Amino acid sequence: MPAGRARFWRPGPAVVSLVVGGAAVLVVFYPIVYLIQASLSVGDPQARPPEAYGLANFVDLARYSHIFWNTILVSVVATLFAIVLGFVLGWILSRANVPGREALEQLMALPYYVTPLMGALAWSLIGSPSGGFLNQVWRALGREGHLIDITTPYGIAWVMALFEGSVAFVMIGAVMKSMDPALEEASQVLGAGRLRTMLKITLPLVLPGVLGAAIFVFAEMLGSFSAALVLGLPNRFYVVTTAMYQFVSQYPPRFPQAAAMGVSLFAVMFAMVWIYRRIVSRGSYVTITGKAFRPRAMDVGGLRWALLAVCLVYLFIAVLLPVLTLLYASLQRLATAFPRADNFTMANYATALSLDAVRSALANSLILGVATAGLGVLLMGFLSWLIYRSRLPGAGAIEYVLMFPQAVPRLVFAFGMLWAWLVFPIPIYGTLWLLLIAYLTVFLPLGIRTISGVMLQIDRTLEESAQTCGASWGYRLRTVTMPLLRPGLIAAALLLFIASVRELGASILLMGPKAKVITPAIVESWFSTSTEQTAAMALLQTLAVVLALILLFAVAKRATRPAGE
Amino acid sequence: MTGASAFSAPRAASIEVNDLVVQYGGVTAVRGVSFSVGTGEHLTLLGPSGCGKTTTLRAIAGLEKPTGGLIRIDGTIVYDSRSRTQVPPERRGLSMVFQSYAIWPHMTVFDNVAYGLRVRRESESEIARKVGWALGLVQMSELASRSASKLSGGQQQRVALARAFVFSPSVLLFDEPLSNLDAKLRAEMRVELKELQRQLGITSVYVTHDLEEALAISDRIIVMRDGIIEQIGAPAEIYELPRNAFVADFVGSANLIRGRRRPELDGDGLIVLETPRGTFVHGVAHGRRSGSEAVFSARTVHLQLSRERPSAQRNVWTASVRSRVFQGDFTQYHLDWDGRRVVLRCVTTDPVAEGTDLFLSVDPRHCILLEE
Repeated sequence: MPAGRARFWRPGPAVVSLVVGGAAVLVVFYPIVYLIQASLSVGDPQARPPEAYGLANFVDLARYSHIFWNTILVSVVATLFAIVLGFVLGWILSRANVPGREALEQLMALPYYVTPLMGALAWSLIGSPSGGFLNQVWRALGREGHLIDITTPYGIAWVMALFEGSVAFVMIGAVMKSMDPALEEASQVLGAGRLRTMLKITLPLVLPGVLGAAIFVFAEMLGSFSAALVLGLPNRFYVVTTAMYQFVSQYPPRFPQAAAMGVSLFAVMFAMVWIYRRIVSRGSYVTITGKAFRPRAMDVGGLRWALLAVCLVYLFIAVLLPVLTLLYASLQRLATAFPRADNFTMANYATALSLDAVRSALANSLILGVATAGLGVLLMGFLSWLIYRSRLPGAGAIEYVLMFPQAVPRLVFAFGMLWAWLVFPIPIYGTLWLLLIAYLTVFLPLGIRTISGVMLQIDRTLEESAQTCGASWGYRLRTVTMPLLRPGLIAAALLLFIASVRELGASILLMGPKAKVITPAIVESWFSTSTEQTAAMALLQTLAVVLALILLFAVAKRATRPAGE
Repeated sequence: MTGASAFSAPRAASIEVNDLVVQYGGVTAVRGVSFSVGTGEHLTLLGPSGCGKTTTLRAIAGLEKPTGGLIRIDGTIVYDSRSRTQVPPERRGLSMVFQSYAIWPHMTVFDNVAYGLRVRRESESEIARKVGWALGLVQMSELASRSASKLSGGQQQRVALARAFVFSPSVLLFDEPLSNLDAKLRAEMRVELKELQRQLGITSVYVTHDLEEALAISDRIIVMRDGIIEQIGAPAEIYELPRNAFVADFVGSANLIRGRRRPELDGDGLIVLETPRGTFVHGVAHGRRSGSEAVFSARTVHLQLSRERPSAQRNVWTASVRSRVFQGDFTQYHLDWDGRRVVLRCVTTDPVAEGTDLFLSVDPRHCILLEE
């Protein structure tokens, strides 16, 4: 169909961008509109559409100023800690000749995969004031009270920072690595000492990157949910997200108040993300030259063993300790710090696997994960191409809309969706379809960033040369674009799978009683059944994810292997 | 000026570009360019970066959508702003060599070259024969099965060339194909490219900012600036008779001599300028007209330096050597002359010391009147 091909080359740019832009706007903004509408409802809180509009809910927020204060306290402390962690690790792994540098760098991604929920469950077992393992040991040594209390704001911040430190490391490490060592060498050649070079050259060059990372991490902290839920709720310590959840799930629910909180949080986060994008786009990254240079590691002598220890301690505290703690607890009848032979059991795993609720939730999550990964890669691959390659008018605006969910906490977004899809004519509320739509929407930024990162590295002329060789659009896509994009597509599929199987903030509000998914089920189990069984469930989820990933990876590798290999 | 009236194509036109305009956003990259390329001709678009030469080439390829004008390839309209025709690149029957080579890293050398043939559904035996022939021409036969990601820059360049001509396109486009190579390899490839072009006889349009490259491989050169054509001509014509100050300066180094016309002193086919300091300079007009103020261009290699006064009557002055720069193949002198600086290049075995006063002369035939 030559006519069809010719049409695709100029596919009526206005029409395509209008359709795609329109769909994107709908999916992304439709819930936000409902969120704002709910926040302005001042009549009967259960009535919809609202009976009357006003700002009373926002004025009312003054009563909850302590919740906002809590949120800021936790977020600031956690951000400071995460950034210091990220900076130190970033410097060690990009600038010092630590043994096993490359392997360590890969391992630094692990804390991210542990997730704040698992971290919170594990640290609650380690450091809750009464039953925490560490505090049991403390009292066994004859001391009074407790050594640490993980349920305080600082404890919550600690758990969040351990997780987010890995994100900060990736962001700051990238900036440090992209800095041409010649800039530092020039300073030293001109007679400045190592300290002066560090203060006058390295720090100012890296500062915008660190600032950007700090703002990004702070925004994430403001919207984070699971650590504060697991550690704070039993103590009635609330941050904005957990308070919103409480408002929605209590009886009678207080939707307008929850919506007003959500809108406020969203406004602050939006400002943060906007500032972050300003910092990044203003090209403060003068260090990124695009010129190739040799990464240079400074010889730090005997200090490298100390620096290695710093990295290993972080990995131990953020990864190994939580996983081992959960494993240890899951194998006991009654979780205690001191092992006794008659206390060990496999019963928790047997129970978890025998419960229909757990089994169906796990199965649902895996199905959703595969569907999100599969559909997500197609959808987000196309959107990435549309934004970065099609050169359609308005592509930049579409990008902005699609990146929007990044600035909205998933819980807040889900709240909007809850209202939006309740009134939607097709009855998908309470089914897995709603969760699928939610995942595909909230993970748009994740998928598009992963795919476009690879797409932008593919020189445009690689596609153009296929075109001048006479290849049609479809042939080009099949023989050149897709094979080159393969690593990005595989990475995106895997990330989408992991992210959706472990998603909590959106799932906890949107899942129906007959279509449960695993992460909220774990949280429910934590609050209503035993700690030991919850630990078993969390580990089963992790195991399922790992097994599914191995399978997906094998399939993806076989399915997309290029012919020439 | 637009080039259409300035020449007539020597052979049947293979490419015709008429009043081409290309805009991106608010910027006009090409503003009304017209030229045509004869069948089998090798045309070069020459100019500094940002002059619109690559945009023009990409518009011919169909990779850029122009804003206005008309492009015809082998008599077929491939772009026409009035009838809103825009034939996609893959159906223009041309081929292109990219500045970045654009060699597909996930394929072998053979697969890269065979791509255009496979698109055209040729039989495997025919593909093997043609790829073998093309790789032979670029001296890459023994690397056919190597992965394209394991090639040096020069090797990638050869593969890109073979890939571009293997399916015998009617037109071959080159977008600065040699600019990523080091100087020595570039000089070698220039010669090879010229031989290949002559062997294949395919119509080609070549884009470069490198004068030597343009002079070496072209039948005709178009000099562009700011989206318009400054001059069209054969390499020697462009070099010997630059049309204006921009071309004179861009096409090799030239001294520009400004002054007032003194028509009453003209004679013997020469015209005369008087510099602001009252020095008389004789030159040739080549049928060009000028106002009361005019400019001569004198190439640095055409100026002559001598210790003894030359016998010539015209264009002989005194000058002093300000500085001397040895550059290997030639020596460059910076001279104080007529209250200004002029540059002279010569091959000499008898270097003149800095500070020496001597005689500067130039044959009036080498002082070319420029259009303003």
